Amino acid sequence: MRKVAILGVGMIPFGRRDDDNLMDLLSAASLKALDDAGFNDRPLDALYVGNMAAGILNHQSSVASALADSLNLLPAAADSVENGPASGGSALKNGILAVASGYYDWVLVVGGEKMTGVIGPKATDTVATMTHPQAEYIYGATLPSLAGMFARLYMKKYGITPRHLAKVAIKNHRNGLLNPYAHIHTKITLEGILTSPQAVVNNPIVSDPLRLYDCCPVSDGAAAVLLCPADKVKEFKKPEVLVAGFGQATDTQTLAERDDPTDLKAVSIAAQKAFQMAKLTPKDIHVAELHDAFTILEIAESEHAGFFKKGEGAKALDAGVTEIGGGLPINPSGGLKARGHPLGATGVAQVVELVWQLREEAGERQVKGAERGFSLNFGGFGNNVVAFVLRREA
Amino acid sequence: MDMEIESLLRPPESHMPPYPAKVITVATGKKMVVRQVDRKAVPTLLKAVLPTLQIPRDYYDIVGVRLYAELLGWYRYRVRDHYCLIGQVDGYLMGIVNGRMYTPEVGMSYHTLAIERGLTVGVHLFAAKMEHHLEFLDQNEVWITAESPIGFRRWMIEYGLVPKTDAQHELGGASFYVLTKELWKANKARLCVGDRPCPEDLLAAAEAEIKLPSEEEVREKILGAKRRQAK
Amino acid sequence: MNGLAAFKCKKCGRIHHPKHARCLTCRGREFEIIHPEGTARLLTFTDACSLPWGIDERCRTLGVVEFENKLKAMGLLRVAHPKLGMKLKASWEPVRIIGGEEAYGLTLEAA
Repeated sequence: MRKVAILGVGMIPFGRRDDDNLMDLLSAASLKALDDAGFNDRPLDALYVGNMAAGILNHQSSVASALADSLNLLPAAADSVENGPASGGSALKNGILAVASGYYDWVLVVGGEKMTGVIGPKATDTVATMTHPQAEYIYGATLPSLAGMFARLYMKKYGITPRHLAKVAIKNHRNGLLNPYAHIHTKITLEGILTSPQAVVNNPIVSDPLRLYDCCPVSDGAAAVLLCPADKVKEFKKPEVLVAGFGQATDTQTLAERDDPTDLKAVSIAAQKAFQMAKLTPKDIHVAELHDAFTILEIAESEHAGFFKKGEGAKALDAGVTEIGGGLPINPSGGLKARGHPLGATGVAQVVELVWQLREEAGERQVKGAERGFSLNFGGFGNNVVAFVLRREA
Repeated sequence: MDMEIESLLRPPESHMPPYPAKVITVATGKKMVVRQVDRKAVPTLLKAVLPTLQIPRDYYDIVGVRLYAELLGWYRYRVRDHYCLIGQVDGYLMGIVNGRMYTPEVGMSYHTLAIERGLTVGVHLFAAKMEHHLEFLDQNEVWITAESPIGFRRWMIEYGLVPKTDAQHELGGASFYVLTKELWKANKARLCVGDRPCPEDLLAAAEAEIKLPSEEEVREKILGAKRRQAK
Repeated sequence: MNGLAAFKCKKCGRIHHPKHARCLTCRGREFEIIHPEGTARLLTFTDACSLPWGIDERCRTLGVVEFENKLKAMGLLRVAHPKLGMKLKASWEPVRIIGGEEAYGLTLEAA
């Protein structure tokens, strides 16, 4: 397979974007990526669009076809990719394979979602369509409730406390303040969300033991990446950031059928595959973007991806290892918690952030000397996970 | 003003015990002073409410226009037994709630307007006005209606309110619900927080000036910052 | 308690709920239908307070249980203070209205 490089990246600020429809979001991010690459009006070979819920939330289908039209990428190939919250990661994986195969040279991958046009409980219900219809959905199961059931067991098994969860949220909010693309720009404190008597109202239960500030917001947004064969990057005088490896794995759809409900098998396998392909190990990584849709997941994923032993992730958090200046900064972008989580956008946005980090273009949240990055996009409740390893060559 | 005619047009006023100010630590760690204001505050509050009339999102326009009318009516002595509570952080207005004593036993909840979103300001201030009706005004029940689905979930479902069909809420024809003293006692601990007395320095600063965001800032707070609208 | 159907692989005996086209262990394609037996043991639970559109309750408690015949399933708990490992008895009742119709599922009370 050919080596694949990321030539251009772009995203738009995440948040409530009342004036923009889904096509506006996707188009804007796409143009930013093309401009970032200096690609101008050259023809593209293929377009992959990661989006989960346009059919329900926006009453729109065939999103990739519509975007190819909106951007005048005609007559490029175009595919919509749906993998729940890992739609972006899956779209990227497909784009990478397309270039690596040698069949296409110039591939645009865009992830986006328009979620705030509906009231919160409707967005919750839409996301809940990922749960099993007969075994979970009928009970009113939602992603937060699956996360709550997982968190209860994981916290008990590994001694993780509500304080640890709060610290993840506080860290990511702090990082979000440094990110002009983040949805949430609010500093929060331990007193405000946990230790004061008022925290019971400031930080109400969503699905216990998870509270409001343990959960990512509902956001609009889009991000895009332009891929090309590695040997074509020099023509554009851009830093050479390679997709060194990727991996994807699945697990049972229902939480009940997992042999060990605290074992995020798909995370471990996807990460292992990505590292194997990249011929790297977790120790080689300088910066990571993990899928903290819920604060417990940042800790759990950091362990399952191999950065820390099981039960050590919270200790690393306590020691400041995962801060921007620490030994392994996790979610310098603010993560899903503060940057936001437009479902289809997230997997692509994670990679956009890594590219900025590896190019030293991340501004105030720059991780010094970052040359190798890792991202993890968590679909469903861990039943379809996509991981990437990026490496800066020159 | 012809005070003879004015006296015919002004409603009589009942004795209404004041709401003692309290302070709440919000999620940012900052201290929000929740206090009662008098009529003198109304011109300032109207400036904050006015931009919401142009925001249909989440029914801000409906809430805003009605709240504007209620505050102006109170200011001009045309609403009986009305009160208004506000929340301030560093003097800045975070939200407004209001209502009135319908009868000595029954409170009529009017509106809850959060200017600062994302910090459960509306939740805190709504609870404060329920506290006012049921504890300081010592009423037996509060009649509550909602103009938006968000309000319905926040008040009716969250508080477990009892539907009432044999009367009409002053705010219109939709079904309304009742918060009784029993329901309040059962749920107060998880819904109503704050420390009293409010530290004197915080209260003095809040009383000295109600600082307002600009009209544009009010729109940004409610709709999301302008930078997010920019491509 | 015949409401909930589970599927036991005829080849290796693994029990599945919900239905699968192929066994999660041996990829066998033939199953016999079984039902929960005995009391259920609570494996995990959550008090879910941010419920989806269509459910107008403040909170509901969901849990995953394992029956004495090793059948695992999610259910709606009607227990004031759930504890991990507690014994529950199951019923088959309406748990949600979907598209105007009652959807039946497991409800669980203290045994």
